[in-house]
Amino acid sequence: MQAETAINLFVKKTGGWVASQLEACTRCGLCATACHYYEATGKPEFAPVWKVELLRRAYEQRFTLVGKAKVAMGIEKPISDDDIKEWSVYDFHGCSMCNKCSFVCPMGIDIASLIGAVRAGITAAGEAPAGLVKKTEVQLATGSPNGATREDYAAWFARTSKEMGKELPVDKKGAHTLLLLTNLEIAGFPNNLVAIAKILDAAKIDWTLSLEARDAFNMGTIIGNGKAMKQLADKVYNTAVDLGVKRVLVSCCGHGYTTLRDKLPNVMGKPLPFEVQHIAELMGVLVRDGKIKLQEGYFANGHTYTFHDSCKIQRAGGIMDEPRLVLRQLAGDSFHEMLPNRKEAICCGGGGGLRAIPEAYDIRMAAFGLKVDQIKKAGADTVVTTCSNCRLQFKEGFEHYKLDTQVTGLAELMSQAIVE
Amino acid sequence: MDWNAFLAFTRGPLFYASLLIFIAGMVYRLVQVAMLGWDKDQSVARGSKAGGVVKSFLKGILILPFIPWIKGAFQKRPIMYIAGGLFHLGLFTVIFLGTPHMLVWKSLLGFGWPTLALPFVDWLAVAAIIGMLVLIVYRRTDAVLRLLSGPAEYLNWLFVFLPMISGYIMTHHLFFRYEVAYSLHMLSVDWMLIWIPFSRISHFMFYFFSRTIRGVEWGKRAVTP
Repeated sequence: MQAETAINLFVKKTGGWVASQLEACTRCGLCATACHYYEATGKPEFAPVWKVELLRRAYEQRFTLVGKAKVAMGIEKPISDDDIKEWSVYDFHGCSMCNKCSFVCPMGIDIASLIGAVRAGITAAGEAPAGLVKKTEVQLATGSPNGATREDYAAWFARTSKEMGKELPVDKKGAHTLLLLTNLEIAGFPNNLVAIAKILDAAKIDWTLSLEARDAFNMGTIIGNGKAMKQLADKVYNTAVDLGVKRVLVSCCGHGYTTLRDKLPNVMGKPLPFEVQHIAELMGVLVRDGKIKLQEGYFANGHTYTFHDSCKIQRAGGIMDEPRLVLRQLAGDSFHEMLPNRKEAICCGGGGGLRAIPEAYDIRMAAFGLKVDQIKKAGADTVVTTCSNCRLQFKEGFEHYKLDTQVTGLAELMSQAIVE
Repeated sequence: MDWNAFLAFTRGPLFYASLLIFIAGMVYRLVQVAMLGWDKDQSVARGSKAGGVVKSFLKGILILPFIPWIKGAFQKRPIMYIAGGLFHLGLFTVIFLGTPHMLVWKSLLGFGWPTLALPFVDWLAVAAIIGMLVLIVYRRTDAVLRLLSGPAEYLNWLFVFLPMISGYIMTHHLFFRYEVAYSLHMLSVDWMLIWIPFSRISHFMFYFFSRTIRGVEWGKRAVTP
């Protein structure tokens, strides 16, 4: 029975950490105000607290007297197979795990991580959206969710080397920094590699690419499959240890960064022997410490820029000041903030695997409408981001809304303005 | 019926028995959650966990309840903030700073403290009662809250409302003879004490867990919780 598989996983996931947060919820519904999918659809089922409902029921019915009494008296039903199917829509189609809701919660409950547990249960029960299941299988087989192979990456590296007129380092033992890219860049904006290579070279960092650990993406994290997550993260871990690097630098992938930084050490049960850093942070640090000099106001050229805070890199990663430092130097007064921003920023709507779920297209575009409003109010014609997934959502969103607003990556802007 | 004898029972043996059930029940809940196990976090911190916890509580205790309008969420659901805030403010003032309640604490703890003048406490009690009435109407009319509310939510509301309204009736000598109103107040308080460990009213205890966890998790990331 599907429900049983899910319940077993919920029970396994329920330590004191999860239980005490479930117990703290007063069902006040304030989290709904923070959810862009609830805002965009007006459906009460998309309120974040309701997405956690399955986990709450499983926990109470298994661990508490009240939960058992509720089932005995018929007030509450045990979780059924139909429930699993129903919540698959709420938790996968209607949640990007952006965790803005947790900042509104008066009790301070970390709602997205609880939703992550629900996703894991639904996936174990075999009811995760087909698009995500497919991508997970493809990534486990080929290394990348879009099927990009070792040869594809090798060709990309060779192409970029030719373009730059210098051989890019690949699998160089003893390098200080391993640069981890993603399949989104190959497919969508391969120039990000040129940009980051220029930045790392300008800062005189001893870095390398790898054909072993190629993709920071981790479908295991997105779908909530712990085994797949570990298998994919292990690849990065083993490569980093083999090469003896001191740092793994993630080029653009948000959840890939938090997976390696926050999840992997806990899966391994020990701290990592290397640092995990996101390029968004490194760029700011290099400029702040004077390792790289930028031509100030290089992009104060009549365009108006705004910065999109992505949920994993900025909100969950805490990297909010660094990209702004860079953008302010580059664009000066042409940089306008959206409101709300930073840790309270509205998600682009395309995270959490939503871009891989065709059935969720309408809701993710509806949620993007909130972003369009923000951009218009900020008076910006170009959105700058440090997340590849957000960037693709913006690209598709602008096409959907027939806007000629542009989206670009911060590394690409910065690499053009470096003073040699 | 001998209301004086009944009053003596509800504020005597029944009260102490209820208090005991309340304490034992809450300890059970605490132990039950604590026994589920806590994993050690192995990831590297970008910021201070302890600092995060301090900020988490400052925000939870000072900012959200007293200056809610700094949050965008306030504009979308002001009723929940204002009515919920007034209810909690009134409740805590009456329980801790109303003279009769302080005397109960004194008899239990052995020491007392200065209290507020009756009219002041009285107005806050009215605010709390109105807050509760607004909240129940809101819970019945708002789509999200209707979805979230089952029998447990309505019973929780009722079992908190009864001590509040009966206390008000008793203080103002309305409708009933004093000892009758007093007995009903004590009876509802006793029942609420028994009910709390079995309900979500116990959130006041888990609040300290969730706020601490939040502080640790977000302090670690150098993000203000």
